[in-house]
Amino acid sequence: MSTIIEFKNVNKEYKSGDHILKAMDNVNFTIDEGEFVVILGPSGAGKSTLLNLLGGLDSVTSGQIIVNGQNVESFNDNQLTEYRAKNVGFIFQFYNLIPNLTSLENVELMKDIVDVDINGLDVLDSVGLKDHASQFPAQLSGGEQQRVSIARAVAKQPTMLLCDEPTGALDSKTGVLILNLLQDMSNNKNTTVVIVTHNAILAEAADKVIRIKNGQIESIVINENPKKVTDLEW
Amino acid sequence: MLAKKMVRDIKNHKIQFISIFLMAFLGVYVFVGFGAESFGFEETANQYYGETNLADGWIYTSNLDKDFVDKVNDLSLTKDLERQLVVNSIADFKNDPDITLHFLEDDDISKFYLIKGDEFDLSDGDGVWLDIRFAEAKNLTVGDDITFELNGVEITKEIRGLGYSPEHLYQTSDSSMIPDYDKMGFAYMSHKAFPLGEIPYNVLLVKYDGDSASYEKQLDNDLGRDYSSFLPRAQHPSFAEFQDETDQHKMMTDVIPVIFIVIAMLTLLTTMTRIINAQRTQIGVLKALGFKNRTIMFHYISYGFWMVLAGGILGFVLGPLTLPPIMFEEMADLYSIPYWLTGFDMSFVIVTVLMVVLAALVSYLACRNIVNESPSSAIRPKAPKITTFGFLEKFGIWNKFSFNVRWNYRDAKRNKFRALMGIVGVLACTLIIVASFGCMDGFDEMKDWAYGDINHYSSKLVLEDNATASQIDYVVGEVDGEKLMESAIEIKANDVKKSGVVTVLDDNNLYTPTDDEKNPIEIKDSEISLSKKMSQLLDVEVGDTVKWHIMGSDKWVSTKIDRIHSDPNSQGIIVTKEKLDDLGLDYTTTSIISSKDVTENYTGVKTIFSMDSLTDSWDTMMESSMSIIYMLAGFAALLSVIVLYNLGLLSFTEIKREFATLKVLGFKSSHLRKLLLTQNLWFTTIGFIIGVPLGREVLQYLWGTMGDSFYLNAHISLKTIIITFLIVYVVSILVNLMFSGKIKRLDMVESLKDNE
Repeated sequence: MSTIIEFKNVNKEYKSGDHILKAMDNVNFTIDEGEFVVILGPSGAGKSTLLNLLGGLDSVTSGQIIVNGQNVESFNDNQLTEYRAKNVGFIFQFYNLIPNLTSLENVELMKDIVDVDINGLDVLDSVGLKDHASQFPAQLSGGEQQRVSIARAVAKQPTMLLCDEPTGALDSKTGVLILNLLQDMSNNKNTTVVIVTHNAILAEAADKVIRIKNGQIESIVINENPKKVTDLEW
Repeated sequence: MLAKKMVRDIKNHKIQFISIFLMAFLGVYVFVGFGAESFGFEETANQYYGETNLADGWIYTSNLDKDFVDKVNDLSLTKDLERQLVVNSIADFKNDPDITLHFLEDDDISKFYLIKGDEFDLSDGDGVWLDIRFAEAKNLTVGDDITFELNGVEITKEIRGLGYSPEHLYQTSDSSMIPDYDKMGFAYMSHKAFPLGEIPYNVLLVKYDGDSASYEKQLDNDLGRDYSSFLPRAQHPSFAEFQDETDQHKMMTDVIPVIFIVIAMLTLLTTMTRIINAQRTQIGVLKALGFKNRTIMFHYISYGFWMVLAGGILGFVLGPLTLPPIMFEEMADLYSIPYWLTGFDMSFVIVTVLMVVLAALVSYLACRNIVNESPSSAIRPKAPKITTFGFLEKFGIWNKFSFNVRWNYRDAKRNKFRALMGIVGVLACTLIIVASFGCMDGFDEMKDWAYGDINHYSSKLVLEDNATASQIDYVVGEVDGEKLMESAIEIKANDVKKSGVVTVLDDNNLYTPTDDEKNPIEIKDSEISLSKKMSQLLDVEVGDTVKWHIMGSDKWVSTKIDRIHSDPNSQGIIVTKEKLDDLGLDYTTTSIISSKDVTENYTGVKTIFSMDSLTDSWDTMMESSMSIIYMLAGFAALLSVIVLYNLGLLSFTEIKREFATLKVLGFKSSHLRKLLLTQNLWFTTIGFIIGVPLGREVLQYLWGTMGDSFYLNAHISLKTIIITFLIVYVVSILVNLMFSGKIKRLDMVESLKDNE
């Protein structure tokens, strides 16, 4: 498997007055294509910062982020927008669906930004929501909304799915369903999935577990035999 | 500590709070400022007329002897009366200015208002009290001598005092259609100053109880119409002109500032509600921490309260201080009046207080809704409103719409009130601008109509009263002219009496009566034509009968109306010379009109008007209204900037999270800008489309109140529509541009975190 993401000596600092906060301190790691990666760490460790940098929502203070051979940190605003559009599928803790659009429209919205032939109904079908195509987000349960948001993310066929606490707002049963769906994307469709969470149990299901603490990499563990999400003890 | 929170909240949302302040200020400023001006007109007139004891009516007759005075005095309604001789004279200056001389028997009614010099003295036969505006124009002062020519007799008097007269608040003369103090004026003298033996008084000034109609009835019944005419106050030219002006201002300043204050209030209230709703989770937190409901409510009510209060008070104070003086300065050119009062009305206070109270009330209501929820529910963001399928989605075409269209349609549908406010804001702006510029269109249209379609000569030679037939015929031959008779008349029907003009045609080609569409019409020898406005005032139509007489003659005639013509600034009757003869009325040529540019002075000709001077006079007269128009249009544009920006800000705050999501998903800033712009343009277009015809309605209403002598159908020119379109759309796009920076700088990470 080829390396698709590489963090090289990445530093991220936030300045507030005279105080400098190091959110990312000399971080190095690689992620291979199709890998199911779990990033673990206590709150404030820098998990979200890492995801934001990788997703092109924020820029590094120093270091390199290489995705598909391109230096993301060197992109300007327009290039970043295009990078997000083509490479990144975001999945948020609170779904962030467009409330004005139906499930189907939320998915087909992606046609406006990428040049991919999207059959919205098929994509919704793949997350088991074909029957809810014409419902608005407010009419769906949390789990259903998150599934629409996954459908929206995969519809544009991104290089990677970046998930920030995707089950944080869901009950455990629904959470398992969502995580299972994400694992399937990785296993069956060779989509790279990066999940940020503080739930250590998920580590057993990951191909690779990156633990961070105080903005630094604590450990990187590769699971030779990751478990199925559904087999985990929740 | 909560006060600290408030100060920081205001600091963090300063633009929002500044706009609340501005809306409160602008609404009250315009309402109270323009109100103070128009109420000031009324108060000025009331006080001035009161101080000078202006006559209630004027009885004109040639044999005003003691006997007649006693008879009038014996009428039960008469309170007071005094005689005057009012005659025209020419002062001894190069330009032969017309001076109206008043020789007074007494000095209790329509008194001279002294500014400089000695009080008026009835026993003084050598002094004169002169029009101060004329004196200023001629550099005359107390102690100077002045000479008048009166029926061929020269009289020279020493100026004892300078001042104003309530009967000459507005003055024109034969040589000047608009007040030109270099060419005209008035002078008051004692009866002892009259040079030619016994004084032939010709006007009886009366003060009476009750209304003019009942007084006139008593005059008619008890005196048997032994006088030539009676002029009640309402028909006195100076009084009527000022009254018309007052009405015009009242109209302009009644309707438009009310629209203003309503829009300002609506936007203000929307904003207040939204600001508080945005604080929902914080309210929940405060509750959860154990703050009393009352404390929380008080905190949030005081939020906007101080801003609205400050804006309202500032507008209340600055409006009357700044707006009326600008207007009064314009008016001073037209009206000769010693002082201008800034008016006051309880509505000023009521509106200001109402605004502050309403702002507090909506804050209270919005806050109460949230406070009444349990802290655990308030602490969570409000569940999003459920969007439902609407009308448009039922059609297949919906799926063909772009995301832009769908998103905006649904956003507007989900935020109906905000959408409505946006539309109403633009609508009000459009309406005010259309009505204001429509006024200008109308003035131009009237000018073209009156001095293009109807009067299309190059020169008008106004004849002396005593010009002889041979003098007239000579001039007609010399200038290749046409004779015209225009005389003041009184006209009655349905118990309504109005002043007007009879125009008598004598085969005229340079004067063409027109219909409502400005097309020429021919008045046949047997026909009587009544002007449209007069027919409306008298409530008569073709086939009805009106009674009228020429001023200065007692002979009333009853005539059937054969035709209705339309004239923008001269209301009354048009007949041919033949018809006038048939009616047994005397024909007197009052002017000669010619297609030549006449400059030579002929005997028997009093003044020559060129078409240019007539249109110039017209322009000057209309200028006084222009400043109001420009100011209103300016304020309208300003208001719409504030309203649109404010609404933009509100919607931006509300959709920030959505925009951040879209940005994360890979939408370009330009794409998002287009989303906002589309919505703005939709609202602008709807507001504009409704605003233009509504503006026309307002304009029509304004024309109707312009005074008895004016008539016009409201037309909105293409130019006005284009100007309005440009202003409204430029404002809309400008406001949108103000947001493009915000979209670009939108911090995705923060915005997404904010709402979680």
